Amino acid sequence: MTSLMLRGGLVAALAMSLAAIAVPAAAQTDLSNAQIVQGLQNLTQDAPVVTAASLRQAALDHATMYSGPAAQRPPLAIQLDKLAQINVQIQFKLNSAIILPDSYATIGSIADALHNPVLQGYKFIITGNTDTTGTREINLKLSQERADAVMEALTTTFNVNPARLEAVGLGEEALQDTKNPESPVNRRVQIFNVGPLKR
Amino acid sequence: MVLAAGLFALAAAGAATGAQAQTMSYQQAGALLAKSCGPDITKYCANVNLGGGKLLGCLDANASKVASKCKADFVAVKASITKRVMAQQAIFKVCNADAARLCQGIVPGDGNLISCLVEATKVVSKACNQTITDAGWR
Repeated sequence: MTSLMLRGGLVAALAMSLAAIAVPAAAQTDLSNAQIVQGLQNLTQDAPVVTAASLRQAALDHATMYSGPAAQRPPLAIQLDKLAQINVQIQFKLNSAIILPDSYATIGSIADALHNPVLQGYKFIITGNTDTTGTREINLKLSQERADAVMEALTTTFNVNPARLEAVGLGEEALQDTKNPESPVNRRVQIFNVGPLKR
Repeated sequence: MVLAAGLFALAAAGAATGAQAQTMSYQQAGALLAKSCGPDITKYCANVNLGGGKLLGCLDANASKVASKCKADFVAVKASITKRVMAQQAIFKVCNADAARLCQGIVPGDGNLISCLVEATKVVSKACNQTITDAGWR
């Protein structure tokens, strides 16, 4: 897997991990359906109310307000770590939002979890994240396009109700490993449970 | 869920004749597409994304060059997903009587009714059991 992780290679590494709140670097090669469902259903009482619009604005504000080195930037204004979530790594073509076939199964496993009866009454935000290679503006744009591509695959090919999903590009504004801002672990897609679907 | 025309329609006719015991999971569907169609996607559809019917459209446009296994498996994937979606939509109608009989007092939501019905598999009606299986909820 190490060779695939080289920056400038065609693809990012494929790995999936629970968004381990305390252990950002932990990445497993695969997650079972049960693990994904569990990761997405642990709602906490003090979870912040997050909308796609507020999250997008928070990323933009972060990009314009803090211009220093990545390791010295404060975290995003919205505390995403309190939301039930999973982290996945999807392989995209370099500098493109095209999902590579190697990641079709990973998208499918997200779809399996979203179709699970336990999660069917909930809404989710899909975020795209890059490392700090490239400009922040381009990273915001590319990550939005990638999050959109994942959402499109989920809502069309894999039949998830579009009313349950929104996509937000966070660019390099919510790094997983702030000490190693160019590390491939930062290139990831996150899925957050943002509460019950209003009927 | 409209299948693209052309050679994929022929493959569909072939796939429809085989009885399908179980629907595949979305993970299996994605893995099968990658395995059977990955090389053709890389060759002919490298700038096309999975969603929105675009991939199927591209493979269809290149149908004369695309591997027959890819065509057949793509059709099988679509058929299986359709069956699974229909089962998920039909479940509360098909299982209504079973739920009323076996799951009194269960608060609906968060999958509670489905887990009640899955636990009661032995005494649930055949149609309801089959629909739960097709929905991928076992």
